[in-house]
Amino acid sequence: MNVLEIRGLTKKFGDVVAVDNISLKVGQGEIFGFLGANGAGKSTTINMICSLLQPTDGDIRIMDHDIKLQSRFAKQSLGIVPQDLAIYEDMSAYENVSFFAGLYGIRGALLKQRTQEALEFVGLGDKAKSFPKNFSGGMKRRLNIACAIAHKPKLIIMDEPTVGIDPQSRNYILSSVRELNESGCTIIYTSHYMEEVEEICSRIAIVDHGKIIAEGTKEQLTATITDTKDIVIELKNAAGAEGDLLKGLPGVRKVSQEENVIRIHSDASVDNLNRILKQLMAEDLEIRKVEEREPNLETVFLTLTGRNLRD
Amino acid sequence: MIAWLITVKEVKQHFRDYRTLFFLLAFPIVLMLILGITLTNAFTSEVKLDGISVLVNDASSGELSRSFAAFEGELSHSGIAFEKLKPGMEGREEIGSDHYTAYVQLSDTGMSLYSSSSTTVESIIVQGMLSAFTDKYNAAAAVAQEADSAEVQAVFAGSGGNYVKDESVIPDRMPGSMDYYAMSMTVMVGLFGAMSAGGLISSERVRGTGVRLFAAPIRRSDIFIGKVMGNVVANTLCILIIVVFSKWVFKAYWGAHLAAVIAVLICEVIMATSFGIAANSWIKNGGGRGLIMLVVQLSSFIGGAYFPVADSGIMGTVAWLSPLRWANHALLSIIYNDDAAAAWPAMGFFLGAALLLLLSTVDFRRNREVV
Repeated sequence: MNVLEIRGLTKKFGDVVAVDNISLKVGQGEIFGFLGANGAGKSTTINMICSLLQPTDGDIRIMDHDIKLQSRFAKQSLGIVPQDLAIYEDMSAYENVSFFAGLYGIRGALLKQRTQEALEFVGLGDKAKSFPKNFSGGMKRRLNIACAIAHKPKLIIMDEPTVGIDPQSRNYILSSVRELNESGCTIIYTSHYMEEVEEICSRIAIVDHGKIIAEGTKEQLTATITDTKDIVIELKNAAGAEGDLLKGLPGVRKVSQEENVIRIHSDASVDNLNRILKQLMAEDLEIRKVEEREPNLETVFLTLTGRNLRD
Repeated sequence: MIAWLITVKEVKQHFRDYRTLFFLLAFPIVLMLILGITLTNAFTSEVKLDGISVLVNDASSGELSRSFAAFEGELSHSGIAFEKLKPGMEGREEIGSDHYTAYVQLSDTGMSLYSSSSTTVESIIVQGMLSAFTDKYNAAAAVAQEADSAEVQAVFAGSGGNYVKDESVIPDRMPGSMDYYAMSMTVMVGLFGAMSAGGLISSERVRGTGVRLFAAPIRRSDIFIGKVMGNVVANTLCILIIVVFSKWVFKAYWGAHLAAVIAVLICEVIMATSFGIAANSWIKNGGGRGLIMLVVQLSSFIGGAYFPVADSGIMGTVAWLSPLRWANHALLSIIYNDDAAAAWPAMGFFLGAALLLLLSTVDFRRNREVV
């Protein structure tokens, strides 16, 4: 059974087509990665699934309920973890979770039980009476998740749930996502961190310019990349490696740099490693490590869209 | 039920916001205290009277003497002291030296009154009472010419011994400064409901929580009603706190029809809340808040929140543009004229205005897109 089914979804803002005829099926028990750079149409699609925006055209069904015709049933099955924190700073963690669960019709003893369970699930059981204004960024993110799961939704949409938090909290959230999935939840997961998506998602769709340009498992997606390779070079000190030092070399498609690590996206058919290394040494740059990596999601994304996910 | 859930949340948040509490509770109470104390004299309408003492020289005999003795007996209960002229005293000199309010000389041919010019009000009171006595005595004398003694006595008995009739040029009770400012500040706080209402929906968007609210399986009308109710309940609670505080701590007078007073104030809060919502839907991106501030401050000023406004003249006419004036006018009638029915026109005005304002936001509520 499909938990989410989208057919011909289109959204136009005036003359701008933000989402262009997207069709998609997400089956029960999946963690579905939804990848796209800023402005690709990912958030617009998610907002339409959450009924926050009205589609210009197309249908969305959640648990076989049309979100236009059976909106309440469709929404009842949905939990949202928005990218921007959606919690009340002036209400305790318990009050936050309890209030949002109450909107889904949960009352009385069950509400108390579900609220406590949700808080314990995200590791905030002992902080129930504390106010989020006193929480760290990671704790707020976890509370943001608790508010989405207390009513036990069948489908949870997590939009960048780990943005701006420490590694410990990120690991906690990722393991929570897995645990939720194991308990029967279907999850749509978006992130700018490709490694997270690679780690937890069973299936991935890549969105660009309002269209889904690729869809499949990680293995299926990377298998499509046969004409490019990634060369990663670690330098002792990358000062001087900036600019267009390597861009003009044969086969080089894109060069990006993070601190002392240079990543070169290149045509697989061109044997250009020696020329790249010579160019760097000519600039008196000391090379510490050279690695030619197998295609990964980042490579797939870069190959398909021509830009990095975080561009 | 869902709307009630949102209402409870709104009230909680209202009372946890220290800025709101300061604005809605501390500020009006402090202002009430300052204005109530400093402007006391501007509201005083009382004339303090010294004790009234009347010097009597009774040289009459028979019926006049007996009747005047009865008259003295009745008035002594009203705190007016009568003293017999003692030997060696000169009545007119005593009046001239202000030892007595008036000097009355009785003889078989009639009665003379000498008053002190320095105690004008008191002298007028004595003069009025003696005039009443004289009228009754003359009436009795006329009856006596054709009737027996019992009928004469009946004329005096018919008076009931009441020689003092209260007639005032001002109503029974007028507000003192603290009474006035307790009322006007409370009305002003009711109007402040517009400010908190201005951000009712937009605050959810700003906090990001609007996404969860609008994605939940509830009607938009539930959210709207819950938010409006929350603002009305929270502001009403603030008003009740101010009324109770001013009544028990500042001893402000709220009259005998407190329920009617509260009803007017609640309707005012509903109108203010509706205005806040409407202003924010008319002018987006914070402009609505500016409009609300402008209208609330202007209304407070011209409506008599800080200084009583005259009923006549240009200011008196302009003041009626302020909802504060409508509320003040109704409350003054309810509290000081004992006229609970004065609540109805004000309530009708406020609820009618609220309805029109909310109708003007229909487009906003029909717009189903949230982000």
